[in-house]
Amino acid sequence: MIHFDNVTKVYANQNRPALDHVSVDVDKGEFVFLVGPSGSGKSTFLRLILKEERPNSGAIHVAGKDLARLSNFKVPHLRRRIGCVFQDFRLLPNKNVYENVAFALEVIGKPRRFIRKVVPEVIELVGLEGKAHRMPDELSGGEQQRVAMARAFVNRPMILLADEPTGNIDPATSIGIMKVLDRINRTGTTVVMATHDAAIVDSMRKRVVELEDGKIVRDQSRGVYGQAY
Amino acid sequence: MRANFIFSEVWIGLRRNLTMTIAVVITVAVGMAMLGVGLMINAQVSMMQTYWYDKVEISVFLCDKISASEKCGGKAITDEQTAAVKAQLEKTPGVAPGGVIYENQEEAYKNFKEAYATNKALLTATTVKDMPTSFRVKLSDPENYQPVVQAAEAMPGVSQVVNQRELIGRFFDMLSTLRWAAIIVAVILVLAAALLIGNTVRLSAFNRRRETGIMRLVGASNLYIQLPFVMEGMIAGLIGGVLAAVLLIVAKVFMFEELTKFIAIGAALGWDEVAQAITLTMVFGVVICVLASFVTLRRYLRV
Repeated sequence: MIHFDNVTKVYANQNRPALDHVSVDVDKGEFVFLVGPSGSGKSTFLRLILKEERPNSGAIHVAGKDLARLSNFKVPHLRRRIGCVFQDFRLLPNKNVYENVAFALEVIGKPRRFIRKVVPEVIELVGLEGKAHRMPDELSGGEQQRVAMARAFVNRPMILLADEPTGNIDPATSIGIMKVLDRINRTGTTVVMATHDAAIVDSMRKRVVELEDGKIVRDQSRGVYGQAY
Repeated sequence: MRANFIFSEVWIGLRRNLTMTIAVVITVAVGMAMLGVGLMINAQVSMMQTYWYDKVEISVFLCDKISASEKCGGKAITDEQTAAVKAQLEKTPGVAPGGVIYENQEEAYKNFKEAYATNKALLTATTVKDMPTSFRVKLSDPENYQPVVQAAEAMPGVSQVVNQRELIGRFFDMLSTLRWAAIIVAVILVLAAALLIGNTVRLSAFNRRRETGIMRLVGASNLYIQLPFVMEGMIAGLIGGVLAAVLLIVAKVFMFEELTKFIAIGAALGWDEVAQAITLTMVFGVVICVLASFVTLRRYLRV
């Protein structure tokens, strides 16, 4: 599903590579934790999957497509198959829960009837039934993240990328967020989650890929966060 | 593509930076109006040129006793010489067939009285006897007058050759300076408008970076993301264009039509020319606005 082959990324005006000859394979339906200290290259890894950045060398395949050969014109179509969740939720403050989720479908031109059908389903899947007409500032952090997950998942992506989704949320609420991610993973969606949260990684017992200074230092199925942290 | 979604986005964008939008509309309107006036002056000048240059004649004044010209030597032209000059003129290449007309003193005086009707002192001081006789020579090609003038000057009994085109030419030179001035001012204003539109779109893109960021993330196409911004520029351009059209109609009624009352323009600017100027400026204005929006978006809305 995601295939990195000897990928190196050096940002302009920087000597040290953000990713240094990284090769990794993520299969369809896998749940992968991406761990490592800040600046270890986790976010770069996710941005490369979205083709927000281009690697300096190496090949990246996502959903069977070679990103180097994917024209800019087709990048939006790639992104429609990838859902994204961030630490800062990125909801639209002037739209309610339903509208925030529907926005993702509206802007890719889905018919209104389809939107009316699937949006309530997804809101229920993330556990926000009955809160469809709340505004983001009326929700707790955990609930806002659930909205963001609903928006990321509403178009049934093949891959869900989560960049520290529990970074702004207390540990108790984080468990609920992880349950939703797990539920999404069980529908067959590949999940890649970058995180600092050792407790979550340890409790989930999923595959762990650890980055340090842009290099993969550990790739372990059913791993834990690691002793160093 | 959901039209109402795009239009609501456009409306939000225009409303959020209303003052900038107004600045854009005014600049576009004035710039386009200047351009339109330039085009209208252009149309007017070329209409006047074709009208007048067709009428332009060469006057071949013949010697009489009071001629100041040295060629005459104080002697009036004889009837034989007059006939010879006429025959020669008719044979000269460049003269329109049947285009040589004799003007005697009475006719010359009549024309003189008409031309200086307001100048009573001059009229009372002048008599029929003071008028020179002349040939009015029509040209087949008014642009090509030099050979005829030279040929006529060489003929015996001719005191002076006056080419009206040289007189009118100076007037048209002035008009064309005016036209160029209008067009240069218009170009500068249009440039200013383009920069203003660029800034407005940039502000708009900055105001909505959250929305566009999410749109990018969920895979909205570039067109879908950019269209609201381009439409914003286009609508501002269109409103400016409509205002410019109103200004042009006002210019036609109060400037060009008033002008015809004061000077014999010969050919009045019709509504056809005004419509043409309006269409051209509108198209130009909208294209400039869309281009300015696109160029700005390429820089400030990375997709």
